[in-house]
This record gives sequence, structure tokens and C-alpha cells, in this order.
Amino acid sequence: MLNVLRWAGRLPWRILAPIVLFILVALFAPLIAPYKPGVQDYSALLLPPGPAHWFGTDYLGRDLFSRVVMGARVSLVAMSTVLASALFIGVVVGSFAGYVGGRIELVMISFIDVVLCVPSLIIALAFIGIFGAGYWTMVGALTMAWWANYARMSRAVVASEIGQPYIEAARVMGASHLWIYVKHLLPHVLSLVVVYASADAGALVLAIATLSFLSLGVQPPIPEWGQMLVDGMSYLEESPRLVIVPGIALTLVVISFNLLGEHFALKKVPKPLPRRRLTRLMEARRTEEEMLSRQETIG
Amino acid sequence: MNAQAQMASQAVLQIRDLKIDLYTETVCVRAIDGVSLEVAPGEMVAIVGESGSGKTVLTLAPLGLMPEGVSIDIIGSVKCRGNELVGKARSAGTALTRGDVGVVFQDPISALNPMKRIGPQLCSQAMRKRGVNRAEGRQIAIDLLKRTGIPDPVDRYQRYPHEMSGGMLQRAMIALALAGKPRLLIADEPTTALDATVRAQILELIKDIQRTEGIAVVLITHDIGVVSSVADRVVVLYAGRIAEIGSVENVLTAPVHPYTKGLLASVPEIRSDVRGTVSGIPGSPPDQSHLHRGCPFSPRCALAIPDHCDRIRPVLLPIPGRSEGDQAACHVTNPAMKDA
Amino acid sequence: MKKLIARRMIFAIAMVIAASALAFAVVAAAPGNVAALIAERIAGPSATAELVRQIADDLGLNDPLPLRYLSWLNNAATGDFGSSLRSGKPISEEFAQRLPVTATLIVCGGIIALVMSLSFGVLGAIDNGGIVDRLLRPVALVSASAPNFFVAAILVLIFSVSLGWLPAFGTGSIGSWIMPSLSVALFPGAVLSRVVRINLQDTMSRPFATTGFSKGFSRPAVLLREALPNIAVPFLTTFGAQLTLMIIGAIIVETVFALNGIGSFFIEVIRFRDFIGMQAVLLLFIAFSVSVNLVVDILCMFIDPQLRRRTNA
Repeated sequence: MLNVLRWAGRLPWRILAPIVLFILVALFAPLIAPYKPGVQDYSALLLPPGPAHWFGTDYLGRDLFSRVVMGARVSLVAMSTVLASALFIGVVVGSFAGYVGGRIELVMISFIDVVLCVPSLIIALAFIGIFGAGYWTMVGALTMAWWANYARMSRAVVASEIGQPYIEAARVMGASHLWIYVKHLLPHVLSLVVVYASADAGALVLAIATLSFLSLGVQPPIPEWGQMLVDGMSYLEESPRLVIVPGIALTLVVISFNLLGEHFALKKVPKPLPRRRLTRLMEARRTEEEMLSRQETIG
Repeated sequence: MNAQAQMASQAVLQIRDLKIDLYTETVCVRAIDGVSLEVAPGEMVAIVGESGSGKTVLTLAPLGLMPEGVSIDIIGSVKCRGNELVGKARSAGTALTRGDVGVVFQDPISALNPMKRIGPQLCSQAMRKRGVNRAEGRQIAIDLLKRTGIPDPVDRYQRYPHEMSGGMLQRAMIALALAGKPRLLIADEPTTALDATVRAQILELIKDIQRTEGIAVVLITHDIGVVSSVADRVVVLYAGRIAEIGSVENVLTAPVHPYTKGLLASVPEIRSDVRGTVSGIPGSPPDQSHLHRGCPFSPRCALAIPDHCDRIRPVLLPIPGRSEGDQAACHVTNPAMKDA
Repeated sequence: MKKLIARRMIFAIAMVIAASALAFAVVAAAPGNVAALIAERIAGPSATAELVRQIADDLGLNDPLPLRYLSWLNNAATGDFGSSLRSGKPISEEFAQRLPVTATLIVCGGIIALVMSLSFGVLGAIDNGGIVDRLLRPVALVSASAPNFFVAAILVLIFSVSLGWLPAFGTGSIGSWIMPSLSVALFPGAVLSRVVRINLQDTMSRPFATTGFSKGFSRPAVLLREALPNIAVPFLTTFGAQLTLMIIGAIIVETVFALNGIGSFFIEVIRFRDFIGMQAVLLLFIAFSVSVNLVVDILCMFIDPQLRRRTNA
């Protein structure tokens, strides 16, 4: 128990805090939102922020704050669904390719590379073009766009680990392929892939928002920040709020995920100390020295 | 002006009461704790010490050649050919800009820019420091490559670092250091990263350059065996202080300081019994993040007098009965301390 | 080395064929009868089954898939991409009209990103921990996080709505290109400046930087002379990747600013399920992507002497 607490204490909380906040807001959205996001009030169109409506209202009289809060939930759910599916497909395909090796692996690598050739959003848009716009099409399309990178990573990990002696030893001892994979290879794969995915989540939220902005993702009346933004564009002059609020929400969420990714990736090159701190340290050192020389002469 | 003062004013490198603190985000280390040293023109001084003894910091820090991200506080005076180096900003290693000093680094493969050819670097250095034009610079570069024993210098001029062997690259780096016509060459562990066979060659080259060009050399090494073949004087550094200093012959044949004795004893001799014991010095190098009271070697010293050696700082004093330059800082083994 | 360049080019062509084949197969497998859609457009709701069958035969829609792909690719190589399902206009015409718009956008955006990243990155590295550096880092972070449609909206809000300096739509004047180019360039510029900054800092802590100082250079001089050449390869690689991503940026920006480019065309064909248009645009995007990667790889081979050696061996 104590070990878990210690591990939790070492996590980068300054970076995780906004992400945790995002998740909490998303999870408890129905409790936090004062109004149901779809409720329209024609008597309260485009109101500025006030006590009744903290962020004001939109062009249909809907409470902006509630919509933003619910939008967080929609983003989180959509992003998690896509990420889970893409991870699952990617890890399975990639691990299979790495484990099997030989010509099959070669063919699969080529296939994965070809898919990676095309920018992810283009793949997603192509799928949406084929199967039409809609929430589930968007989820499927993004999954199709996102799995390839994880497949590439999984394959690389499995391919490099599989040559290790301990795998061979396990085979000799009669372990089944599945057992070897789950017990020995999967942890390696997951440790690499999960770290990447946690930072990738930001890009995914952005992709969902972009598709919704183009009206090809989350469809109204379900609130989603990108979709709210495109709706607000027509009212840019009168009520820029409608555009600014969801935009800022999106930016903040993406910043948090980017910081998380940076935290994992950044090589620690030491920075020079800021001047004030340096002067203080130097003074401390001088005092230490004086005290010591006094001790040495007395003694 | 008496002879001593005259000698001092001619000294290529003059270090007085130098103290150097290194500050990083996590720790403050006193790398050099009161060192005074002079290097006369044309002599080779070896600085010997373990890792952490401060031997690299001693000469490189005043020149501004410390790694990025480390803040340095230098107290005292370091003069190169009479020009004061301490107290100026990091970017003004004036001795370097003027070309008075050339530096040879430890691992030539990583110390040379992989994207630059060898020759043009030499050429532009020569042009900048000697004020010659490109054609002359190129010729000087080729001559330097020849001088440092690189075969087929005209071909090697165009090469990239990854196309040359370690030993060849170190020669090229020495050539680069010589491009500015320096009066002082600082060689920081020049042979540590090289094969054993090449080591002797490089040391010979450095010795040869010292003799023929009359360039003073500061040879930094942790390997005391290297010292005996080439150096004139040796400085034994421990915990940022000079433990012993003197002519190579005297120090190596009749060491005074217990640390020096320990260092020499730990070098296995080719004649010693294969099954004999290998002696080392018990304990480990001290933590430099705090200042030391008394003698920093006392925790590991068999001769240490309790409540004396660990309380009063031993001063570097001349050893009686020996030439003037031979000094040791030990309460116990230096007879001069007893009179002090 | 020429051998390796040739090999690389063949590989690139193979990539284009493979990717476009994949795209073709996926689109062709889509639900919805292409022939029926065309028939509907030509003859309205009273299109007969007869007409549909005739159109299908004309277009070779009943042939096996590989044959269809090859004939499509063959046509595409000569510039015939078929006609849009929606408008009936030959797609090559649309391309001819719209390509200059997108090309200008990407070129301008690329130049802005290049200048921005190099200046921010180098300035930040020279300053290393000082005020300029500490200010530039959050700016780069926010720029790399904000959605480009939001950036576009804010730019319009400030420069069109509030200040009235720049037009919000159309391609009339030079001024109308400023905001779209900035919107496309901001994200890649921010990512690239981070790459420049981090790589410069990394390189400055390598031993040969110290050697640079030992030559008597000041810190800015060492940075520019010794460190900068060493970041060329990671910079180019990232620039190539960002250039590919700029296609997506172009799509969004063309939508926001109502520019008639390939990007907005792509959205149109998607909205109207114009499969023929989709195949054509996808081929274009794939070709662009692969070409950029090819050029970047070849340039890197020229720049990095160590890569050159490995290719000769």
C-alpha cells in the first residue's frame, strides 16, 4: 500500500492536474452543468455572462457553460473510445507481425508503412467520405487513421525482444505462444505505447474537434467544442464569446497533453541557474567558508 | 626585480589562490579549494588526480570551457602570459581568442564536429589567429598535419572525423590546438580514449612538440604511469587541493604525501609477483559538495592524527632537504609542518 | 550515391502506387452505386435501370478491381481523373483552377514557418534561460496547441472585425493571403521552433561545442558555426513531416476563409460522396506526401557526411 502511495507521490502532479481536472469535469458533467445543454430559451438569446448564465447564452438561448462542460464529456468519451480501439488494433496487429516474423512480417510492415504515408486526418476524412458523416463513422474513421503508428511501435518492440535469450528459454520450457506474449512481451509493448498514447490523446482531441468543425464529426445537437466553434463563426462580430470560449477550452486541454508528452520525452539538459538563486547560493557558500576558517584557526 | 619575481612575470600560466565553485540545479561543488601554481615557458607540468579531484576544472574553468548549464564562481587569479582571465565574462576566454592557449580534449571522435572537414577548420583557425590569407592558411594547415605525424596530409585535409582512426584524430586535434601558435598547450587526458599502442605515440608527439617549439604543456591525467616518461614537474591533486608538487624524479622516487605514496603503490609493476597483492587506497574520494575541515585525505589516511589532521588545514610547504619547488601539504610527513 | 538516389525514387513510386491502390480499393468498395448516382444526375429521378447499366458499362464499373485500378491509374498519369459525380466537370479542370490557391497557401505557410522556427529557435538557444527564452517557450507551446481553426477565427476577429485591416474572405488582394498563411504556418512553426531549440541545446552540450569554444569563439558564434549545421538533418526531417501536415491545415483554412483550393474541394467531394473526386484528390495528396519525404531524404543524404558514407559502403 505504501509503495503505491510513494509511486503516486513521484508523479508529475503539476502536469497531471489539468488533465485530471478535464477528466473529472467530463465525468461529472451532468452534475456540474446547471442547464441541460439542449435547452433552448428564445427569450435569452446571446446574453453576455451573468449570474444566471456564467458564460452567457448562444444564438438559441442555450447556456454556454453547460454546453462547454458537456462538450468536455463528449470529447473525453470520443477520444477514449478511439484511443482504446486504435491501441487494441495497433498492438494486436503490430505484435502479431513482430512475433510471426519472416515474410508475413515483411508484408505487414510494408502495409503499415503505406498507411503511415498518408496524414491521419486525410485517412479519417476519406472514411467519412465513404461512409457518411456521423458520430460512429467519425470514431471508426479516426480509429482507422490512428492504429498504424501503434502497430509500428508494437512490432518494433516485439521484434527486438523476441531475439532475447529469456524468450527462447521460455519456449524451451514449454510455454505457449500466448503465455509468452502476455507475460513477457506485452509489458514491454505497453510501457512504450501507453506513454506515447497519453501524449497523443491531445492530438486526438484536436482531430475530433477539427472534424466536428467541418461538420463531419459530432453532429448537433450533441455539443462538441469544435462544432460549437463553427456555429459561433456566424456570430463572430456580435458575440465572439461563442467562438473564444470553446477555442480556449480546446487549447488548454491540448496544452496539458502536450506538456505531459514533453515531460516524458525531454532529455534533461541542465539549464543555468537564474541569477537571483545563484547569488543566494554563492552567499551561502561564502558564509560556510568563513565559519570553517574560523573553526580551523581556533582549533 | 629579483630573479623569482622575474621568473613569475615570465610564467606562461600563473594561478594564485584559486577557488572554484560549480553550481548546478541540484548541488554546489567546490572543485578547486585554494590552488597556486606556475607554469614556466617550455616546461611540461603533469596534473595527476582521481576523478573529482578537480584536475580538469583547474585549467578549463578559467578559460570558460566548462559544459553548458553549469554556473561557475571563480575566486582568485589566473594569468596567462600576464593577462588576467578571472573576473571576465564566460565568452571572453581572451587567452583563447588571442591564440595563446591551445586545448587538446579527451575523446577526439566526439570532440570534433562530425559535419566539418578537418583541414578547413585548421585553415580558418590559422587565418584568424595568424592573420594570413586562405592560401597561406591552407599551407599552414597541411604543415601542421604533417608535423603531428599524419601521413598523406593533403588527402587528410579533406576528410571528415568519422573517416579517421582515433589516434589519427587526436593528432589532428593537436594540430588544431597548435594552429594559433600557442605558448601553452593544455592536454586533458589526451590518451585515455585511445588504444594502448597509440598512447605512447601521442605522448611522444606532445613531448616532441614541447621540445622543438618551446611550448609549455599542462598534461592532465589520472594515470601516474603516463607522467614519468614525459613530464618535467608533477602536481598531485586531491579534493581540489594540491597534495604534493615537485619534479617528476623526486615525487615519483621519493613521494612524501601519503596520497602520493598510495597512488604510486597502486600501480602494478611488471616485475611484481603475479600472485602478489594489489594495493589500493581504502575508502572513496570525498564529497566535494561541502567544504572540508582540516585535511581532506584524513578519513582515508593511515597516518592521520585524530583531532589534528581532521581539524587544521595542512598548508603546502617546501620539503626540507629538497629543491625549492618540491612541496607537500601534510601535517605528518612533511617535517616543515612541525616547525610551523 | 546516385545508385541510392535512384533506389529511393523507385521506392517512392512504389509507395505512391501502393497507397493509391489502397485508397482506390477502399473507395471503390464503398456502399452506394456510382452508376446510379450519375444516372440520377443526368436524368433526374426518372433514370431507368437501363441507363444505369449503360453508364456502368461505359465506365467499366463491372470489371474486376485490379483492372479498374490500372485503367484509372493509367488515365490519371495522363491527367484524366474522370468527371466529378456531383458537377460533371472534369476533375483535371477543377485541379487546374484550384491547385494554384493551395500551392500558394502552402508555400507562403512553409516560408513563414521556416523563418519563424529558425529565428525563435536560435534566439531562444542563444539566450538560454534568459528573459527572451522564457518568453518564447510558452508562446511556442500555445501555438503548438491551439487548433488552427481557432487561430484563424481569432485572427479574423482581431484584424477583420475589430481593426478592419484585412479582408476575411476571397483572394482579391495580397492582404487576403496574410491571415490564411499565418493560420497554416503557426502550428508547424511552433513545432519546428521547439525542434530547433531542443536540438541546438542538445548539440551545445556535446564535446565538440567545447572544442568550438576552445577555438576562441563567443557563445553565439559557436552556436551558429558549430551547432547549427548539426541540426540540419532533424530540422529537415521535421519540416518535411510538417509540410505534409500542412495539407490538413490548408483544408481547414480554405474552409474558414472561403478559398477555392484543393482543400475545400476535398471537403466538398466528401460532403457530396463524390467517389471519383475523392480518388483523384487522395492520389494527389499521396503523391505530394511521398515526394516531400523523398526530397527530404535526398537532401539529408547530401548534408550529412556520415549518411553519405553509409550509402557508399
